[in-house]
Amino acid sequence: MITLLASAVTENSGTFETIQRTFGLKGPFFIAQVINFFLVIFILKKFAFGPIQIMLEQRRARISQGEEKLKQIEQQLAESEQTTAAAIARANEEAIRLIHEAKLGAATFTEQKAQDAIAQAQQILTKAAAAAQADRDRLSLELKREFGRLVAATTQQVTGKVLTADDQRRINEDALTQIER
Amino acid sequence: MSRRPLMITLMAWLSGLASVHASGQGAHEALPLNAQQILGPFTNSTIMVWLAVGLIVLFCRMATRRMALVPDGLQNFAEWAVESLYDFLGGLMGERLVKRVFWFYGSIFFFILVNNYMGLIPGVGTIGWHTVDRAGNEGFLPLLRGANADINLTAAMAFSFALLWFYWALTENGLKAFLAHIFAPKGSFHGLMLALMVPIFLFVGVLELISIAIRPVALTFRLFGNIYGGEQTTEALMALVPAKLAFLPALPFFFMELLVGFVQALVFTLLCAIFLKLICDHGEDGHS
Repeated sequence: MITLLASAVTENSGTFETIQRTFGLKGPFFIAQVINFFLVIFILKKFAFGPIQIMLEQRRARISQGEEKLKQIEQQLAESEQTTAAAIARANEEAIRLIHEAKLGAATFTEQKAQDAIAQAQQILTKAAAAAQADRDRLSLELKREFGRLVAATTQQVTGKVLTADDQRRINEDALTQIER
Repeated sequence: MSRRPLMITLMAWLSGLASVHASGQGAHEALPLNAQQILGPFTNSTIMVWLAVGLIVLFCRMATRRMALVPDGLQNFAEWAVESLYDFLGGLMGERLVKRVFWFYGSIFFFILVNNYMGLIPGVGTIGWHTVDRAGNEGFLPLLRGANADINLTAAMAFSFALLWFYWALTENGLKAFLAHIFAPKGSFHGLMLALMVPIFLFVGVLELISIAIRPVALTFRLFGNIYGGEQTTEALMALVPAKLAFLPALPFFFMELLVGFVQALVFTLLCAIFLKLICDHGEDGHS
């Protein structure tokens, strides 16, 4: 390279020496500096930038792993959200079904109870009607008896005739027939 | 907010003071163009290189002493700086390539940046001793010198990158694809058109080879020129006024040098990244 410089720069072989002399470019110093320089970059690589680069590499790897994990977590979260949404949907469907069944059950129960109540009311009415009929019959019988007794007593007093049992029965029946009409 | 300018002012003042002390009686000493030998192949810029490496390693060790996945304090700052550069280069070169070569680009960026800033510390280039050579000429030998103001270091970095560039280009493409990348016609040509294009692209390939050969030279002189020029300008400005006021004209230039230091580190790194990207540019999909 130095030779090339010499040939390229000048036609005169003395010019290169002039350049060397002017700038102090000396073979031994140059070689010493080359060796120096390689030692320098070796030392800097080994003791200066090496540890920093290792740390930077570790951090990059850690960040990369972190990003990878973040992606996994996001994926898991998305899957979990999907699962949760599906579970919620299933739970909703189940709840709706249960509510529907409960409503149906309640309606049936209500209907049954209403029917029971109606039947009970019917029974009560029937019993009441029967009791009322019985009272009525009893009262009617007593009334008939009383009425017959009164009619017989009245007839006996009016006619002055002692009525026989047949007369009393016949008069009573006539009177009752008239009343019942 | 007011502390930083104060610090800069103090540093600039100390710089002026240092030059006064360095030169003994207040006379200004010009910074030599060349790095100067201290011991064997070690120059005053080599000392700065290792001081910068020590500083970077110390900072990184402090920042990574208690590493935590959730960073704070120094670790946070160190990670921010490294990660910002990594992301920036990743956007330029592609994720796969930057993962492979970041150790070089990260090192070279911070190394150049710290060296550029350390060159601004008062005392660098000004504290030293007077020398007298065999001919009796007096000179000044600074103990420390801005590392990137030494062309041997910038050339060493550029040519080391050139070697690594070849290695990465060959291993990424394979020899056949590497040569095809340089010499083969780009686009789909058939028949006569292909026959016409082959010599043209061969010629373009030769130009490309020259361009590849010139790149390290350009990288070398760009970084050296900017940093050395900055130092010289600061020196020249300081020499304009009496030594006790030397910091005044240099003060605004310090701010610019802070910017230049960053920009030059970025430019060197960026150009290296682009050169590699150009030869490896066959899309990220090609490797999948």
